[in-house]
Amino acid sequence: MNVMEAKRLTKTYNGQAGIRDVSLEIEEGMVYGFLGPNGAGKSTFVRTMLGLLNPTSGEGRILGEPIGTPKSREKVGYLPELFRYPDWLTGRKLLESHAELCKVPIRERKKRIEEVIDLVGMTGRDKQKIKGYSKGMSQRIGLACALINDPKLIFLDEPTSALDPIGRKDVRDLMLHLRDQGKTIFLNSHLLNEVESVCDHVSIVHKSEMIVQGKWRELMMVEAQVEIMSSATAGLTNLDFPDFVRNAENKEVLNDRSKALYQLKSEEDIPRLVDFLASHKLPIYEVTPVIPHLEDVFMYWVNEKEQRYVDHR
Amino acid sequence: MWTIAKLTFKEIVSKRIFLITMIMTAVFLILYGVAIHYAVKDWESFGASTVDQMMQQQLFSSQLLSIGLYFSSFIVALLTILSSVSAIASEIESHQIDTWLMRPITRTQFLLGKVIGLGGLLITYAALLFAGIIMLHQGIGGEVVSLDFSISQIASALATYMLQPLVLVTLGVMLSSRMTSLNAGIVLIILYGSAFIGGFVEQIGTIMEKGALVNIGIISSLIFPVDAMYRKMTVFLFETADNPVSLAQQGMFASASAPNNVMILYTIMYGCVALVLAITLFRKRDV
Repeated sequence: MNVMEAKRLTKTYNGQAGIRDVSLEIEEGMVYGFLGPNGAGKSTFVRTMLGLLNPTSGEGRILGEPIGTPKSREKVGYLPELFRYPDWLTGRKLLESHAELCKVPIRERKKRIEEVIDLVGMTGRDKQKIKGYSKGMSQRIGLACALINDPKLIFLDEPTSALDPIGRKDVRDLMLHLRDQGKTIFLNSHLLNEVESVCDHVSIVHKSEMIVQGKWRELMMVEAQVEIMSSATAGLTNLDFPDFVRNAENKEVLNDRSKALYQLKSEEDIPRLVDFLASHKLPIYEVTPVIPHLEDVFMYWVNEKEQRYVDHR
Repeated sequence: MWTIAKLTFKEIVSKRIFLITMIMTAVFLILYGVAIHYAVKDWESFGASTVDQMMQQQLFSSQLLSIGLYFSSFIVALLTILSSVSAIASEIESHQIDTWLMRPITRTQFLLGKVIGLGGLLITYAALLFAGIIMLHQGIGGEVVSLDFSISQIASALATYMLQPLVLVTLGVMLSSRMTSLNAGIVLIILYGSAFIGGFVEQIGTIMEKGALVNIGIISSLIFPVDAMYRKMTVFLFETADNPVSLAQQGMFASASAPNNVMILYTIMYGCVALVLAITLFRKRDV
């Protein structure tokens, strides 16, 4: 079952910016990364899905209910990017108010509040007024707030933006813990490594448009790269490489070994390259596939989109 | 809705502006009590034996009470304006509203919760202030300054008095659901000020028998009926069938030109329309 889906969902501000024609389907238990630079329209999309913004066109559903209806938000948690909570309340009172709004049964309320406070590492600080919280503590209590109704779908908008490295790791662990519990997580982030470490599916958004979406591993394999160790005397310069080799360059020479990096069209081209080198009598000692840098993957898709746009014109 | 109402109520109570208002209210009540105390002393030394003097005493007493009630209604209005214009706008500006509105509640419920919380607090405050003024006037005033009021007189006057913050809250929340706190505050203060001045112009027009001035007052009452409700309240409080002199029609703080009962209905309708408009605007708004 799809926990969330959007069909050509568009939200623009007087025809400008926002997010355009986003279509996606998210299955239960998925950790879905919505990746893009600041200002790409990630938060606009989430806020439209949650009914905070009225869509310009298109439609969306959360847990089978049309977006904008209270029913669609019954089992949803949300940590906004610009988190601000009433500073005159204590953390615990804030959670009590949210539990009341979510109709968490009174008998279960206290237990649930204790659970989420413990989960986000705020035990002992929950009776302080939010006014006295640091940014990191506010983000933690915001996370607790997002989890108070035991949601099926959790929107996390830049959840580690205010946290130190230890806090970031805690949140990443928490996301994995929630995934193990079968929760669906929609993670908005511009931090590539954050998305990589927890997400199985990813969308890349840029300049208000969704550029690509799919399994992270598949998106990563945009360009197969392989390092091949050969003998130091073997030269690449006199080889006439076939078309599937996009680039070949010597990386380093260690004693009588030399390492070269090859960029190929796809992973399937690796054995073909090995065959090609062997047919030219190059001794091969080691073949190591190279995972591209996240920035390279991101830029690849962004450039791909822009190239398609230029070609189209 | 009730959770939002409770939170709104508690939020205002926790604000510094509320504490300051409470302190200033206490100062005002003490000063008012002291003024009555010395007024009584002066009047006692002067003495009132003739019918003329007794009538003068009654008029003086009603004026003293009118001034107290007029100023108190001004304080209530000010607190209402300051707290209602930021009810929605400030939460949108700070994005605090996001986490409330993403819960399974409708925007109508959220807005009604705000109105109930604000309205509940402000009419309680207005009622206590009204009661405080009446009690000070009647208690300290003793036989010399106190006036004879029936329960029904006080009840109808109080109900009309409480209509003022309720109408202000609905209008304030309506403006807040569309504008920034600052803009909403400016609009509401100008409206209140116009009604305030319009009320005085109408009284002057009535005393001087100038139709144009009276019409200005009527138009300002239709645009913003809060001052008219104050005038109506004085009629309910001071007007009695067995009093040969209409105390309600004496002085600037009373009601020389009395609004009729349709004005009460108009004010209630005015509040309802403002509320419906607030809900409609807020439902359409991106937050």
